[in-house]
Amino acid sequence: MRNIERLLLTAWLMAASAFAADAPKVKTEAVKATPVAADLDAGKKLYQRWCAQCHGDEGKGDGPAADFVYPRPRNFTLAIFKVRTTPSGQLPTDHDLFNIISKGLPGTSMPAWEKFISETDRWQLAHYVKTFDSLGLFKDEPAKEQVAIDAPPKLTDELIAKGKTLYKEKKCWQCHGPLGRGDGPSAQGMKDEWGFPIRPVNFTKSWRFRGGDRIEDIYRTFTTGFNGTPMPSFVDSIPSADDRWALAAFVKSLARPQKNAQVLKAALVDGEIAADPYAKQWEDAEFADFPLAGQIIQEPRWFKPVHDVITARALYNDKEIAILLEWDDGTNNKGEGKPADQVALQLPTQPIAGEKPYFILGDDKHPVDSWRWNARDGLVRVAAAGSAKQAPRDAGSLVAQVSYRDGQYRVILRRPLQGAAGEIGFEAGKFVPIAFQLWDGDNGEEGMKMSLSTWYSVLPLPATPLSAYLWPFGIGLLALGGEVWLLRRMRRKS
Amino acid sequence: MQRWTLHIAVALWLSVLFGLKLGVRPPMPASVLMIYMTLTTIGILVFVAANEERFQAFLAPLKAVFAGRAPKAAQIAVLAGIPLLAGWGAWLRTAPSLDAPFEPRVVHPEPPTSFSSHGKRIDAATLKNPLRAAQEKNPAELEKLTQQGKTIYYQNCFFCHGDALAGDGHFANAFSPIPANFRDVGTISMLQESFVYWRVATGGPGLPKGATPWLSAMPVWQNFLSEDEIWKAILYIYAGSGSTPRTWDEEGGHEKH
Repeated sequence: MRNIERLLLTAWLMAASAFAADAPKVKTEAVKATPVAADLDAGKKLYQRWCAQCHGDEGKGDGPAADFVYPRPRNFTLAIFKVRTTPSGQLPTDHDLFNIISKGLPGTSMPAWEKFISETDRWQLAHYVKTFDSLGLFKDEPAKEQVAIDAPPKLTDELIAKGKTLYKEKKCWQCHGPLGRGDGPSAQGMKDEWGFPIRPVNFTKSWRFRGGDRIEDIYRTFTTGFNGTPMPSFVDSIPSADDRWALAAFVKSLARPQKNAQVLKAALVDGEIAADPYAKQWEDAEFADFPLAGQIIQEPRWFKPVHDVITARALYNDKEIAILLEWDDGTNNKGEGKPADQVALQLPTQPIAGEKPYFILGDDKHPVDSWRWNARDGLVRVAAAGSAKQAPRDAGSLVAQVSYRDGQYRVILRRPLQGAAGEIGFEAGKFVPIAFQLWDGDNGEEGMKMSLSTWYSVLPLPATPLSAYLWPFGIGLLALGGEVWLLRRMRRKS
Repeated sequence: MQRWTLHIAVALWLSVLFGLKLGVRPPMPASVLMIYMTLTTIGILVFVAANEERFQAFLAPLKAVFAGRAPKAAQIAVLAGIPLLAGWGAWLRTAPSLDAPFEPRVVHPEPPTSFSSHGKRIDAATLKNPLRAAQEKNPAELEKLTQQGKTIYYQNCFFCHGDALAGDGHFANAFSPIPANFRDVGTISMLQESFVYWRVATGGPGLPKGATPWLSAMPVWQNFLSEDEIWKAILYIYAGSGSTPRTWDEEGGHEKH
C-alpha cells in the first residue's frame, strides 16, 4: 500500500513539475497505476503464441504474416504508438497499450484480444511489448501525465455546425476531403514514419476509426495526435477544448453505420429512372452495403485490398432496371501510370436451377455476365466461364452513367428488364443472384487483384396484390364472428 | 397461483418465441421457428389439459371475458385483440416475402470414399495425418512441425479464419456462410483429420451438392499448398485452437476423442 502511495506521490510531483516548467495547453492528470506487475517470462510466452506471427519475434513488425496484411503490423522498436491518451510525441501509458491489445484496431487485422486472452495476460503483453523499445524510452521517460478527457458535451446541431466551421478553417479538408471521404488535395502519396504509404481516414466509415468511433475517442485523437502518422495533435491550432469537442461532434456526424443486406431491393418507379446519380430519386432509394474481401483464391492472390465495402441501390420501371454502385476512393485513377479504377457486377446468364455459378466469374457449366465500368475505358461487358475464360461481349442495350465527385464514384448500370440472348431477365418478385467486384488503381489493383463479394440477390420489389390485404381482413372478420357467437352463447347461459 | 394459469401459459409461450427469435444467432429460418412454436403450443396445451382443475383455471379468465364478468378494459383488450392477432398472422403469410431464398446446407457433408488431391486418388477411409505419427515418439519434432504449420496458417488462412482461430478474420464478414470457427466444439474437434484434409485440399468446389458448394468461398488448397504443408497447417489448427481430432479406435471399434 505504502509503495503505491509513494509511487502516486512521485508521479504527482513529476506531473506538477512538468506543469510548472512548460504550461501545458491541455488539461492533464497523473497516469493511473498499472494494476498488474510485469512477469516478462509469461509475457514472452504469450507474445510468441499470439503476436509474433504479425509483429515478429523481435517486435519489428516483420512476422510471417506481416507482408500479407494492410496496414502493416506495428514495429515496436521505436516505441511510436498511434492511439494514446498522452500528449503528442510522448509514449503511451500502460493502460493505453492494454486497451489497444484488448480492443484491437478497427479497420486493420489487429483483433480485439479481450475475447480470447485473460485480463492478467493482456497486462503481461502490454509489459512485454515495452521490452522491444530499442531506445530505452520506456525506462528513461515513461508517460507521467495523460490528457484528461471530460464527459462529452451533448450532441446538438449548433455544436456540429460549429465543428463544421472549424473543419473548414483549420483545413482538416486538405487531407480528409470536403465531405470527409479522405480525398483532400494533400491526401495523395502520404507516408508514415517508416515510409509506408498511409491514407487519411474516411470519416464516413466510422467502423474503421483506429482509436474507436465514440465522440470521446475522436476528441482524444484530435488532442493527442497519431504519433508516427501525418495526423498531428490539434492542441496548438485549436487550443479550446470546447472547439475540439465541436470538431469531434462534426466528424462523428459524418459517419454512417454500415447497413449490410442479403438482398438488394429495387423499388418500382413511375416514368423514367434518373440518369444523374445525384438525382433525388436515387438519393431516396434504399441502399444496402455489401462487404468485400481480397481475392485470395486464384493467382495472383490479393491480400491487401483497399476496398472493404460497396454500396448499391436499385430501381426499376416497366421497361428497365438500373443499379447504382457507389464507393469511396480518394484517388481518381484513370489508368495513367497506375491501373484504372474499376467496378463490376456479375449475374448468371440464365435463371438458377439448383446450382449457382462459381462466385469468382462463374465456371464452365455456369457462365456469368459481367458488367464492368473502368475509369479509362468506360463500359466493358465480359462473358466469363471462370477467370481464365473471359471474353469481351457486345454491350448490347447495357448503358453506364458515371460521376466522380468529392472522393466518391457513382456508377449507374441499366438494362431492359427483358433478357436478350445470354442475359438473365428481371421480373417483379423474382430473385436474381448478383455479386460485386471492385478495384483501386492507386493500390495497383487490376485483373484478379481485386476486392470481391460472394453471391447476394437483387429483387425487383413486387407490388402487393389485393388478395394479400383481403385474406388478413377476412380472417380477422371470421375471428370476430366467432367471438360474437361465443359471446352470445355464454351470456345467454349466465 | 392457479388463477394465473392462463397468464403464465401466455408468458411462457411469448418467452419461448422471443428467446428463439432474439437469442439464437444466426437467426433460424422462419419454417424452423414455426415447428418449434407449434411444438411449444402443443406442449403447453397438453400440460394444461392433463389436469381438469388446471384446465378450468386456464379457461376461467377467458370465460370471464366472454360471459361479461371480467373488467371492461380486459374484455375490450381480448375481444379486439383476437381478431387483430388473427389478421396479423394471416398478413405474415400473405405479405410478399423479401428475404433471400433459403438455401438448405449440410454443414458436415458425408465425405466421398475417395477424392483426388495433388494428382492422386486418395482413399478417405484409410487416410491419416502422417505427421502425427511423431506425437508419441518425438514430441519435440511434432512441436516443430506444428510451428511450421502456424506460419502456413498465418500466410494463408488467418485472413478468414481469424488470428485466434475463431472464424473472425478481417475478411470473414464478406462471406456467407461465415468461415469455420475452429474453437467451436462443433467444427474440427468433432471431425477426423482425414475429413479436415479433404475439406482443405478440395475446398468449396469439392463439396457435394447437398452442401451447396457454390456458397463456400473456401479455396482449393491443393492448388497452393503441398500435401505436407496441408498436414502441418492441420496440426496447427488443432493445437492453436486447443482441440484434438476425433479418432477411430480400431481395437475397441468405437469412436473416441
